[in-house]
Amino acid sequence: MAIIEVEHLMKEFKIAKRETGFLGAMKGLVKREFHTKHAVKDISFTVDKGEMVGYIGPNGAGKSTTIKMLTGILVPSGGTVKVNGIVPYENRQANAKNIGVVFGQRTQLWWDLPTIESFELLKEIYQVSHSRYKENMDTFTEILGLDEFINTPVRQLSLGQRMRADIAASLLHDPPILFLDEPTIGLDVVAKERMRTFIKEINKERDITVILTTHDMEDIEQLCQRMVLIDHGQKVYDGEIAVVKNRFGKIRTLVVDLEQHSTPLTLEKAEVFKEETGRYWIRFNREDISASGVITQITQTHNIKDLTVEEPEIESIISRIYQEGFDGVEQPIPVKSGS
Amino acid sequence: MAFMRYIDLYFKLVAAGIRAQLQYRFAFFMRIVGMLTSYAGTAITMWVMLYQFQELGTWNFYEMLFLFAIAVLSWGFCIILFFHFRSLDTYILNGTFDRFLVRPINPFFHFMAMKFDVASFGQFIFSIFIFIWVSAELQIHWTIANVLFLFAAVIGGVLIQGGLLVIISAFAFWTTKSEQFYWVVMYPARNLTNYPLVIYPKMVQWFMAFVVPFGFVNYFPASVILGKETPYFSENIGYFSPLVGIVFFIIAYYIWMLGLSRYKSTGS
Repeated sequence: MAIIEVEHLMKEFKIAKRETGFLGAMKGLVKREFHTKHAVKDISFTVDKGEMVGYIGPNGAGKSTTIKMLTGILVPSGGTVKVNGIVPYENRQANAKNIGVVFGQRTQLWWDLPTIESFELLKEIYQVSHSRYKENMDTFTEILGLDEFINTPVRQLSLGQRMRADIAASLLHDPPILFLDEPTIGLDVVAKERMRTFIKEINKERDITVILTTHDMEDIEQLCQRMVLIDHGQKVYDGEIAVVKNRFGKIRTLVVDLEQHSTPLTLEKAEVFKEETGRYWIRFNREDISASGVITQITQTHNIKDLTVEEPEIESIISRIYQEGFDGVEQPIPVKSGS
Repeated sequence: MAFMRYIDLYFKLVAAGIRAQLQYRFAFFMRIVGMLTSYAGTAITMWVMLYQFQELGTWNFYEMLFLFAIAVLSWGFCIILFFHFRSLDTYILNGTFDRFLVRPINPFFHFMAMKFDVASFGQFIFSIFIFIWVSAELQIHWTIANVLFLFAAVIGGVLIQGGLLVIISAFAFWTTKSEQFYWVVMYPARNLTNYPLVIYPKMVQWFMAFVVPFGFVNYFPASVILGKETPYFSENIGYFSPLVGIVFFIIAYYIWMLGLSRYKSTGS
């Protein structure tokens, strides 16, 4: 059953053209010219109850604009949105009861007050019953360790603590849908892991539908089975993550630190695409050659001091999909021998 | 009942706002001191001027102080309730305003209840002191009716000035910056009310009665209490202060909501 329905969603912004210089500024005061920015061009998708969907795209792709339309903050310029049977912008307050929202960059909590007070105020705003509030707080405290900092003012919390508090706050009123906008941004590895575990758990145990935007490929891989990839306001891909990974995620980058040597590095089926004071970045296709195959080639002529293998990042996958089109024939990466 | 719920919620949110303010004790006390000194400064300037002229129009020194005290009292209330509307543009600009739109309560109410500027209590001490002093000098006979009328007039004044703050803040929905409107509209309007309107040209008086109705904040009600003449206007026009306040504030609210609906479709 679809809990979120988005059809031909569109959002245009009119942006005033600003001319440079004093004369330009004066001109802008009298007559303003506008150009239209299509933040979201034509996006359709549905999300079923209990699904966890990664909503991915580069900066400026239209992710936040879509989320803002789903939460009722923005009115679409075209198309339809339905969240749990409600049109968000028409019935913003009713929609607010059905959704939890976390913006990774901005807190929803009362900055100057001890953290617990934010929870108590939200309890009043959302009219959460005493018993339900207590149950939720107990659960969240247990999983998220809220008691470490519950009496500390929000402004003094670390980013990790603040995010934990924010996500707990967004779930106090038991919303069936949760929007997470960059929930792990800026967090260290441990804090990220903790967030992910929590998100997974509430999705499973409470059957909460989760839509999350992120830049972190690992968030998606660990949390979602499905991803909706958008770019320039349009949907590029909607489906299983594994498919994208198999199709576009075969490129690996090997980073090696080599001891000084006069012979240049010559490789087959792999390509040095960057070099910096003894450190080499080598790109290869996992299907053509294994990492150990590349390493063997290097050791024949050079001594390796250190090495790491990097997984492809979401940005590079997106740029490849964008360049090649998802339905287009996948082109083999050009592999030059030698450097 | 929705109304009762909102009252209850208002007090809870406001109490939280006060606790937040008290986190910065030094700033809090400095604000009270700052307010007191700035008003004392204005009063001294007036005194110096009037010492030269003895009276302005038909108003003598104490009557003008009385006028001034009403303005300070209602402005004091107004700041406590609405002053943070001035920074609405900052909330919009840095995106924190969005949070008011993802909660199941009226965003105007939510924004209004977010802050409660207790520091402005300094103004009460100041204006009450003046009321007592001036009443004695002018030998005003305080009847219950008089006191009730003054009370209603102050509420009207709060709504008029608060309404203007709300309207100015709403400009931020269109222009993203509204601070300059404060200096262009609010500041001059408030300064005009420091003196009896009678000294200004007819055009200005009309403007202050029917466009930006600040005449109803202090000049008209003070004229009623002190029995002063109000040329160009009906004698009892001061009694309309509370009504003007209510109507003006309702208009302000709808302008704000109109701005909000624009914000929702532009996201600027």
